Amino acid sequence: MSERQPFIRNFSIIAHIDHGKSTLADRFIQVCGGLAEREMSEQVLDSMDIERERGITIKAQSVSLTYRARDGQDYYLNFIDTPGHVDFSYEVSRSLAACDGALLVVDASQGVEAQSVANCYTAIDQGLEVVPVLNKIDLPAAEPERVMQEIEDVIGIDAHDALPVSAKTGIGVPDLLEVLVRRIPPPTGDANAPLQALIIDSWFDNYLGVVALVRVMHGSLRRKQKITAMSTGRSHLVDRVGVFTPKPADREVLETGDVGFVIATIKDITGAKVGDTLTSTDHPALTPLPGFKEVQPRVFAGIFPISSDDYNDLREALDKLKLNDASLHYEPETSQALGFGFRCGFLGMLHMEIVQERLEREYNLELISTAPTVVYEVLTTKGEVIYIHNPAQLPPVNEVAEVREPIINANVLLPQDYVGNVITLCVEKRGVQTRMQYLGKQVSLGYDLPLSEVVLDFFDRLKSVSRGYASFDYTLDRFQAAPLVKVDVLINGERVDALSIITHRDQAQSRGRELTERMSDLIPRQMFEVAIQAAIGSKIIARSSVKAMRKNVTAKCYGGDISRKRKLLEKQKAGKKRMKQIGRVEVPQEAFLAVLQVDQQNK
Amino acid sequence: MSDALPPLGLYVHLPFCLRKCPYCDFNSYPTPPTSAQQGRYIQALLADLDADLQAYPHIRTRPLHSLFIGGGTPSLFAPAALGQLLDGVGARLHCPLGLEISLEANPGTLNLKALRAYHALGINRLSLGIQSFHAPHLRALGRLHDAHAARQAICDAHIAGFSRINLDLMFGLPQQNPQQALADLNTALSYAPSHLSWYQLTLEEDTPFAHHPPAHLPDEESLWAIQHAGLARLAEAGYQHYEISAHAPPGMECQHNLNYWQFGDYLGIGAGAHGKISSRSAAGTLVIERRSKQREPQGYIEQALNGASLLASAYQLSASDTVFECMLNALRLQEGIPLSLFTQHTGLTASCLQSPWQHAITQGLMQNHPKQLAPTALGQRFLNDLQTLFLPT
Repeated sequence: MSERQPFIRNFSIIAHIDHGKSTLADRFIQVCGGLAEREMSEQVLDSMDIERERGITIKAQSVSLTYRARDGQDYYLNFIDTPGHVDFSYEVSRSLAACDGALLVVDASQGVEAQSVANCYTAIDQGLEVVPVLNKIDLPAAEPERVMQEIEDVIGIDAHDALPVSAKTGIGVPDLLEVLVRRIPPPTGDANAPLQALIIDSWFDNYLGVVALVRVMHGSLRRKQKITAMSTGRSHLVDRVGVFTPKPADREVLETGDVGFVIATIKDITGAKVGDTLTSTDHPALTPLPGFKEVQPRVFAGIFPISSDDYNDLREALDKLKLNDASLHYEPETSQALGFGFRCGFLGMLHMEIVQERLEREYNLELISTAPTVVYEVLTTKGEVIYIHNPAQLPPVNEVAEVREPIINANVLLPQDYVGNVITLCVEKRGVQTRMQYLGKQVSLGYDLPLSEVVLDFFDRLKSVSRGYASFDYTLDRFQAAPLVKVDVLINGERVDALSIITHRDQAQSRGRELTERMSDLIPRQMFEVAIQAAIGSKIIARSSVKAMRKNVTAKCYGGDISRKRKLLEKQKAGKKRMKQIGRVEVPQEAFLAVLQVDQQNK
Repeated sequence: MSDALPPLGLYVHLPFCLRKCPYCDFNSYPTPPTSAQQGRYIQALLADLDADLQAYPHIRTRPLHSLFIGGGTPSLFAPAALGQLLDGVGARLHCPLGLEISLEANPGTLNLKALRAYHALGINRLSLGIQSFHAPHLRALGRLHDAHAARQAICDAHIAGFSRINLDLMFGLPQQNPQQALADLNTALSYAPSHLSWYQLTLEEDTPFAHHPPAHLPDEESLWAIQHAGLARLAEAGYQHYEISAHAPPGMECQHNLNYWQFGDYLGIGAGAHGKISSRSAAGTLVIERRSKQREPQGYIEQALNGASLLASAYQLSASDTVFECMLNALRLQEGIPLSLFTQHTGLTASCLQSPWQHAITQGLMQNHPKQLAPTALGQRFLNDLQTLFLPT
C-alpha cells in the first residue's frame, strides 16, 4: 500500500438537477484551493458550452483536491461528477464504479426526486457508502426535518444525521468535508499487484489525442510505462499521466486508488473504450475488471443535410462527435424525400437535441431531423422477427403478423397534491398502473408505459402538470404487442417517407389530423395549392391544404440600378435555402418535426 | 456572332424634389434648385459625360438610341437649363433624327408655358407622375398635386404638342377598394395616353412607409381582384401589357426602358446615376462594365466642377453576374428576348443558361421554346421566384 492510499477518498455527488451539485463541487474546489477566486467566476465542472447553457452535466469528469483536515492530515479527494438527467443515467453507474462513496445531496425544500432514488440504489448496489446531505438550508422554505424523514421513507437509509449545508453561502461545507473523510472509506486494492486501471471515460482532444480518465484499482501507472488495453490487446506507451485540479496537472505516477488521466499513443477512441481495463504490458493482470454493459440507444431519428453537398461534412462531424460520445449510434440512411443522411440512435430526447445542436453549432451544418421514434419489434407473416428503427421500414400491413412496442417500468415520485394530474397524464399515455405507495407526503407511482409515448414530451408534460414537483425514472422492460399502425403523410399526392409515424390505432385519426393541420401552418404558401394528407395504407384519414400565393413580383422597375433588386432576391433565396424541396413543394426544416409540435400544442 | 454592340441609351438623373414622398426610395432630395444651382448642376452633368466619354472613347461613334431625363422631379429645371443640357449632349454624342427624348414631370410643377418650352427643345415624350386621380389617395401618398392639377397637366401636355405621354398610376393604395382603383384607371384611359405605367404600391426598404406602414392597405385578395380587372380593362382598351407594369399600344413602347429590359447599354450621368457599357477587348470578346456616380448632389457638383472623379463604383461583370442581370431584366418583358439577343448582348453562349433555364421550364415558369427566353403567365406572376433561379450561386 502506498503512503497516500489510506488518505484517498473517491466520491460522487448524487443530486437531482438544480439541487446544487455543481455549486457544491465549486465550493469544495474553493475550500481546497483548487482554483483562485477569480477563476471561479463560472461553475467549472460543466465545461461544454451546451452543458453550461442548459445547466446540466453530460459527461463524467473528475477533480482531484487536497484537503487538510482538522486533525492536520492531508486527504486526497477525487470527486467524480455524474450526469443528472434521466437520458444519461447509464453514465452514472460508470462514474460510481470509480467511487467508494457518494454524497446524496437533496434540496431541503423540494425533497427527494426519482432520479436521485434510482442513482442512490445504483450506488448502494455497488457497495458504496452513501452520505446524505441537505442542501439549500439557507432558503426560508427549507424543511430539513421533513426531508430527512423523506430520505428515510423513500430511500431507506439512515438520514437522522444528514448534514445541513448551503452550497451557495458556504454554510456547513467545512463540516461536510470532515464528515466525508470520516465516513467514506479509503480505496481498497493491492498496490503490489499487476496494474488494473478501469477506464471511466475517454475522449478525443484535438491537441492531445485520446485522453482516458481512469481509476487505478490495483498496481500503479507511470509515465513511459508500456500498457495494454485488455479488450483490444494493443499496447501503447504512456506519454503523460496526471490529475485534474480541475486544470490538468501532470504527475509521475498514478497509484492504487487514484483517479486521473492517461495519455498514451492511442490513435482513436476505440483504443480506449469506456469500461476497458488498462494493464501493464510487461506484467499483465490475468483478467480484466468487470466492465460496463454497452448502452443501447432508445430513440432514433434521421438526420439529413439540407444541402446534399454537406453529406460528407455531416459524416465527418458525426465521426468526431462519436469520438467523445460512445452512446451515439449512426448508420447511413437514404430517404426518397431527404436524400442521403444518417439514422441516429440516442439515449433520449435531450441527447438527441444536444447532438443536433452541436452538429449545427460546432460544425456549421444545416440539418433536417425527422421525428424521433423508438425501436419496434415486428413479427412478419413469414415468422421472422425484425427490428424497425424507422417508421418507413414497417412492412406492408399484409406482411405484418404483429407489431410490438417497447414498454418501460416507470417510477414517478411526486407530492400527494398532484397524484390526480399525473395519473391522468399516465392514462393518456396508455400507461398501466403497477404500484402506488404513500411515503410520507410523497407518493411513489409505478407505471408500465409505452416508451414511444414517453420519449416525445412526457418529461415536460409531467413537469407542467405537477408544477415541476414530480420526478421520473425508468428502465426498459419488454416488447409488447399493440395495435400499431403506420401513418404516412402525402404532400401534393407524394408520400414523404421522412414524415411517417407509427402510432396506436385509436390515436391514428387524431394524430393524423393534428399533423396535417400543423404541417399546413408550417409550410409557407407557394405558387400552387399544397395538399397535405395523412393516410393509413391507401386510406386517407385527414387532409388540409396551404392556399396558393397569388403572386410574387416586384412591380417597380429600378431602371439602371439593379443592385437593390438583386439584394431583395438574394434575401428571398437565403430564406429558401433552409427549405427542402419535396416534389415542387418547398418544405421548411420545422415541418419535419411537426409531430413534436402537435404534442406541444396539446399541453 | 455579330460584332455589333447593344443599343446605347443615356440616362440623366436630376435628383431634386419639392419634397420627398413617403414611398419613394430613389436618390432624391427635397431641395428645389435655384436657377444658379440648375446651371451649375447642368455643367456638372456635362463634365460627368465628358469623363464617361474619356473612359469609353468608342461611345462617340455609337448613335444614341434614347435619352431619358429622370429624377427626382426634372420638371423643377427651367426649360433654359434643360436646353443647355440637350445642347451639351448634342455636341458630344451622335443624336440621330427622331431620337426618343423623355422627361419625367410632376403635375404640381407644370404649366402650359413651360410644357411648350420643353416641347420646343425637342423633348418628345413626357412621363407624368399622376399616381391617382382621387384626392384622399394623393394625400395618403404625400403627393403635392390634387386631382384637378393631375387632369390639368395631362390636358396642357396635349396642348403643348406632346403626342407621346406616359401616365404613372399606382394601385393598392391605403383604403383603396377595387372600384376606386378601376375608376383611376378609366380616368387615365379617357385621356388616351400613349403609354401607361400601372404598378402596385410597394413598401420599399428604408422609406417612411416601410418604417410606418400606412393603415388599411388592401389585402392580397383585393389586390388580386384589382390587378385582374385592371389588366382586362387595359387589354380591352388596346394596350399591350409588354412589361410587368408597362402598357402601350403597339409601337408606343418606351424605347429607353425597353433597352434596359433587353440588356442594352446606357450611360448614366447625374448624382447616383448608374451606367452599363459594353465594349470589345483587343481579342474581340465582349466586356461589360457597370459604374455608378457619387450620390449626394452638392458633393457631386463640387467634384465635377473641380475635375475630380465622380465614380462611386466601377466594375466588370463576371459571366455569372452577366447572365443574372440580363435575365433579371429580360424576364420582365412579357415576350422575353430572343436567344440570339441574349448571346449578342451578353457575349455568352446559351450553355451559360442551361441549368436554371431548364429548371424554370420544368417549374412552368418559362416557356419551353428553343429560341426565345420568355416567362409563362405563371412566371410573370411569380417573377421574383423565376429571377431567383438565375442568381449566381
